[in-house]
Amino acid sequence: MIRLTVNGAAREVSSAGATLLAALHDELGLPSVRYGCGVGACGTCTVLVDGKPMSSCLLYAGQAAGHRLVTVEGIGTPERLHRVQQAFVDAGAFQCAYCTPGFVLATVALLDENPAPTAEQAREYLSGQLCRCGSYPNILRAVLSLAQKR
Amino acid sequence: MALGEPIPMLDSIARVTGSIQYLSNLRLPGMLFGAIARSRVPHARLLGVDTERAARAPGVRAVVTGALLAPHAFIGGNDKGQPIVAVDRVRHAGEPIAVVAADDRASAVAAAALVEARYDERPAVFEPSAATRPGAPVVHDDHPDNVYAHFKLRHGDLAAAFAAADHVFEDTFTSPTAQATSLEPHGAIAAWQGDQLTVWSGTQAPWALRAVLQKTFGLADGAVRVVVPPLGGGYGAKSPPFLEPLVAAIARRTGGRPVQIVLSRAEEFVTVVKHAATITLKTGVRRDGTLTGRQATVRWNGGAYATASQTLVEAGLVRVVGPYRFQAVHVDSIGVHTNLPPSASYRGAMQSQTTWAHESQMDMIARRLGIHPVELRRKNLLRDGDHFATGETMHDLHFVECLEAAARGLDAAPLPPRTATKSYGRGYAVMMKNPIGTSRSQARLRRGADGKVTLYTSTVEMGQGAHTALAQIAADALGIPVGHVRVVGPDTSETPFDQITVASRSTEMMGAAVRDAARKLKEKLATAPPHADVAADGEHATHFKLDPHTAQGVTAADWHQGAGAAEVEVDHETGEVRVVRYHAAAWAGRVVNRRAAELQNLGNVVFGLGPTLMEEVVIEEGHVANASLYDFRDYRIPSFRDIPHALTGECLEAPNAQPSGLGEMTLPPVSPAVAAAVEDATGVRITDLPLRADRVLRALEEKRR
Repeated sequence: MIRLTVNGAAREVSSAGATLLAALHDELGLPSVRYGCGVGACGTCTVLVDGKPMSSCLLYAGQAAGHRLVTVEGIGTPERLHRVQQAFVDAGAFQCAYCTPGFVLATVALLDENPAPTAEQAREYLSGQLCRCGSYPNILRAVLSLAQKR
Repeated sequence: MALGEPIPMLDSIARVTGSIQYLSNLRLPGMLFGAIARSRVPHARLLGVDTERAARAPGVRAVVTGALLAPHAFIGGNDKGQPIVAVDRVRHAGEPIAVVAADDRASAVAAAALVEARYDERPAVFEPSAATRPGAPVVHDDHPDNVYAHFKLRHGDLAAAFAAADHVFEDTFTSPTAQATSLEPHGAIAAWQGDQLTVWSGTQAPWALRAVLQKTFGLADGAVRVVVPPLGGGYGAKSPPFLEPLVAAIARRTGGRPVQIVLSRAEEFVTVVKHAATITLKTGVRRDGTLTGRQATVRWNGGAYATASQTLVEAGLVRVVGPYRFQAVHVDSIGVHTNLPPSASYRGAMQSQTTWAHESQMDMIARRLGIHPVELRRKNLLRDGDHFATGETMHDLHFVECLEAAARGLDAAPLPPRTATKSYGRGYAVMMKNPIGTSRSQARLRRGADGKVTLYTSTVEMGQGAHTALAQIAADALGIPVGHVRVVGPDTSETPFDQITVASRSTEMMGAAVRDAARKLKEKLATAPPHADVAADGEHATHFKLDPHTAQGVTAADWHQGAGAAEVEVDHETGEVRVVRYHAAAWAGRVVNRRAAELQNLGNVVFGLGPTLMEEVVIEEGHVANASLYDFRDYRIPSFRDIPHALTGECLEAPNAQPSGLGEMTLPPVSPAVAAAVEDATGVRITDLPLRADRVLRALEEKRR
């Protein structure tokens, strides 16, 4: 058994050789961590690893042991949304929302690193997250609304 | 007043907290996981499939091959059509040859890799032009020339129309095979209880799927129940019934245990693709720019199976003409089999490829005659009272308005000046698309004892905001706050019939059914006791059918209309095209949810940048060479880096108008508007999509010589 620290809690998964995505989605049943491409190109399966956004399909569960893993379940609740989540709701920054947890976590990481990004900086930082529905304009609006609030 | 309000999607909180239960999140007691073994060759007699090692692999509970499925081996029960799993022949690389169900996904995938097959390989063909040549490999024996569909539109005296022209221009345009690439792959769960089948699927067509499954397995009406969770995108590609019969087939062998299959990204590319198309337009025009006649020949690459393609090829007849006045129009829309994965809808079905052709040719004609491209369109665009190529009288048209709104949006700012390495240009395009001909929607509204209202609908929520819009329509019609309406469905055991969620029909058609149900509910509530549970059903249906030989008649009660204007920057050193500004305009009639409507318009433009600049499925000897999103050499879809810095849109409305579909309207104009902008910037005209950097560079070099 492999012990992972997920959203502040100790969780056990059965296989070090499974991808972190499979461990989180299939075994731990976290609905927010989803398969999109399997090769780290779309950002759908993004989790924060010690605060940095990484594609969980590119990590083995064994590699993730000993690191602080955060999924969108760990940053806010329906009763108390994280400010990034609230900004996404206010800006209508999603359609099918399959990519949304990845974008939310990447935005959390962006604002940690750069609290007042320009539009250009935000686009560049988020260029690894794909949105097929094309919600990018509203996503950018959500991100920049947080940058101004500082 | 709920109508028009930009309220957030009803389940916004679930969307941002990641708690939406997509198909892959669903877990049923005892559920197994399936994996598919696939053909390694594009065309062969399938001599045998050996599943012995797979069946003995750890965790495996069931295995099935096509040979074991008789007499229910074909989708929809058509034994000349598409097998659920290949029986004695494989017709495209990646075609399913066996299915395995195991305790977990990894075991299923490992077992599927142990399936062995013996092939008697045959020559294969991948291009329609090659497939229709005498002596070409035959994909289906009952279509020896590989033509599975040839539909015709005949209107007016074409010879006379060409004789009346000063010029007759013939040009050919191509669009490649592409893939819808919803971030959520296809997935389904099937569970049998005796002869009752329940299927959970990320499908856009629950009722159509129910009918297909009943026919496929020879079941009584009502034996199949289809449940649809929210989709992570559909874009037309989740409407064909390609995966569900296969999941049902393997689930039938597990002694009642449900089986879930979710495709990998690579599998998506061999399951369903967008029709590649070659379109030749021969158009007569007078020197003053008046169009006289058009002859259109469209060859669609339907791939190995035409299950989801027949009706689309027929729709190509009215979709290739363009929103213009002609004395005469002849169209031949031809579906050709090849040894590629089956083709089906891709957002803006068939209209994406056809608008590319008819708008590109308008710009070429404009340039040849020395007329401004917007002016040439204004001169010829259909207006109320005009006849279309089907002979029908058109009304409620807004093409000119859409075009002018798009152009105005762009022309507000000056064009940047040319630099040493970069030049700038602008282009415009208009699109016209018909709704589906047979279109029926039913809705049920129920007022519970607590006073809240439940809307039962089989419209599929795939991010377009349909459920929210329908709730707003219900709330508005009942005079209650939208917060008092909850939406349930699709679940064919609970929610009444809906044709399908495609072709931007739901706000219009299901919306009308909801209004009908609301009217009836209000009548019932007027005489019901205060806390009684009261329900009412509503319906809205249209049925239009054109003449099967000439495509004359009435196509639709109203048409979908949109336009776009693009400003591009072309880098003369790299050939790279960047869309820097874009303004889209769509006819909306009456906006139901302003925020969702605007996002549909912008999202469509973003989507449209894909086929314009980067999307193409690369085939090498019948295999998809780029079945991944891994890097720039693989299949690419637009990212933040590709978005115009100024991307804007508008919805055109009119008082007393009804809502008109917005799910696709601003997508098809993107490709031709961008190509026209490239020509404006550089003088080069490219007639093949996508507008890749190497294509642009080559065209620039040729022009220099």
